Amino acid sequence: MTGPDASTALCATGLAFRYRRRGNWALRDCEFTVPGGRITALVGRNGAGKSTLLHLAGGLLRPTSGQLRVLGAVPGTAQARARVALLTQDKPLYPRSTVADTLLLGEKLNSTWDRPSAERIVREGDIPLHARVGELSPGRRTRVALALALGKRPELLLLDEPLADLDPVARGEIMAQLMTEVIERGMSIMLSSHVLPELEETCDWVLVLRDGRVELSEDVEELRASHAVLTGPAGQADILAGAHTVVRSRTGGRQLTALIRQRGPLRGDWHVQRPGLQDILLGYLQAGEPGHPAPAERTETAA
Amino acid sequence: MKGSLWLAWRQQRVPAGIGAAALVVAAAVAAYYRSGMLEALHSGLFDHCEPGPLYCTRSDTGLPLLLDVEPLKYLGALNIALPVLIGVFWGAPLLGRDRELGTHRMILSQGVSRGQWFASRFALAAMTTIAFSGLLAGVFAWWWRPAADRSYGLFWYDNTALSGSGPRVVAAALFGLAAGTLLGLLARRVLAAMVLTLLVTGAVTLLLEWTHRARLLVPPHTYVSAGITPKPPMGEKWSTGHYGLITATGRHDDVLTCPFPSGAELKQCMAAHGYVARFYEANPAGDYWTFQWTDTAVLGSLAVLLTVVTVLLLRRRV
Repeated sequence: MTGPDASTALCATGLAFRYRRRGNWALRDCEFTVPGGRITALVGRNGAGKSTLLHLAGGLLRPTSGQLRVLGAVPGTAQARARVALLTQDKPLYPRSTVADTLLLGEKLNSTWDRPSAERIVREGDIPLHARVGELSPGRRTRVALALALGKRPELLLLDEPLADLDPVARGEIMAQLMTEVIERGMSIMLSSHVLPELEETCDWVLVLRDGRVELSEDVEELRASHAVLTGPAGQADILAGAHTVVRSRTGGRQLTALIRQRGPLRGDWHVQRPGLQDILLGYLQAGEPGHPAPAERTETAA
Repeated sequence: MKGSLWLAWRQQRVPAGIGAAALVVAAAVAAYYRSGMLEALHSGLFDHCEPGPLYCTRSDTGLPLLLDVEPLKYLGALNIALPVLIGVFWGAPLLGRDRELGTHRMILSQGVSRGQWFASRFALAAMTTIAFSGLLAGVFAWWWRPAADRSYGLFWYDNTALSGSGPRVVAAALFGLAAGTLLGLLARRVLAAMVLTLLVTGAVTLLLEWTHRARLLVPPHTYVSAGITPKPPMGEKWSTGHYGLITATGRHDDVLTCPFPSGAELKQCMAAHGYVARFYEANPAGDYWTFQWTDTAVLGSLAVLLTVVTVLLLRRRV
């Protein structure tokens, strides 16, 4: 039940997945550990493997090789199902069911069910319980789907692009609700999102995927502390490359702007700025794309 | 398991209700027409009729005497179409609807495993299918019995009776359900699954009708009569329409070489060609059950095979 790594939310070793036997790898060589009780941002460009990873963690897919553990359990087993909730990107619900029926479904299909909190989430969105799900706006449907996911009182909540359909007010409310759950019950959340500014305020762990590989898995505070945006004369690029990890650099005229992971004292004449999480993530996402050289050395993923 | 059964019932209660209503209507129609049929039989009008394939006629007008078996044949046709109806409207959406809406992802993210998701809904559908098809076959048998194997009624080899009654109706319905379920899993759209199911179950139904007609799975018996002695009466037997003559060496020739029913001409012709006996091919009435069990075995094993394939694909496809 509670193995030695029970306090970790997710742990992958050598995880790889491809949809077809001879197809491309959607994920490969994934090694990471996400501690429990965190809100983890899963970041990556389209096709980086975010949804695949969440589906694997939710037990909807099985790894082609390697292994993945959620709360120390194999995804998809009865043990994991009872403690992990997954909300997929398409937020599938039965369109002809009423909201009340949808919540009743959650109550019937789960061993634990928190009806008051599920109904509260729905009520806060001004959603009538007798309305048919198919007639709700996408944002309201998302809220119902979220109520279904939270009603089972998961210890790990996996959310694939949960906020895309919600208006700004609803986003704030939902995120506040989620953070309350994290604080009060020690729930872990992993959510994928393209809305980087939103992640800045809420997330305390980031997992960056690129082309199916894990680029970064690290605590947000450490990430902020170890990275710097440098501006200085273009001639100093070589000094940087040797001593630090250059995530991304851009030369404009004779001036060089670089996002680096600092590996010791800075030498040279630089204007140093502490970057926000958004800048760091954007740097990693842009690195390796045309016009931006990949990081000089692969960053070690903090375990 | 309790929760997934609850969901299965919620999703299948509408088709189950329609099925129950159809069953009630069929039973009511059967009761009404059967009582009319019994009345006609008790009137004594048919008492002089011999069993056999030849029509018996009214003594006064000379018109053929017939029971009204048309409605019974409609019920038989419904029973024959049962695998198509159940496959298209019950089997195809069983997994196909969740596949189309993506809702299986929602269900499987609750406390339900793939196995429970499939097993609960398929078991419920299979049980109701067995119950409905069994009862419909039973209603047919009950209605048919007074008129069975009479020239003024319905012979066992009429395809509405042969394919619309007995255990093969249940096996066929289960085959339809299994085919629809598998195609619902394979096709990503319910409508596509329904069309495919219509084609597959329709083709198998017609193929089995053809095997009956061709006596492919239940070969006919050859009835031989020596010389020009009268042939054994056809009675309730199902003739293949193949009559002929046999030489001393055992060669079978078509009846057209000596197309005479009896008498001196026949004797002369047979002598001229060296024929020593006559024969015809037919399935005796007892073959009703051979046909029934053969069909049941074929359709039942198809149903099991398709269900096994569905279970094996479930892990990879969902």
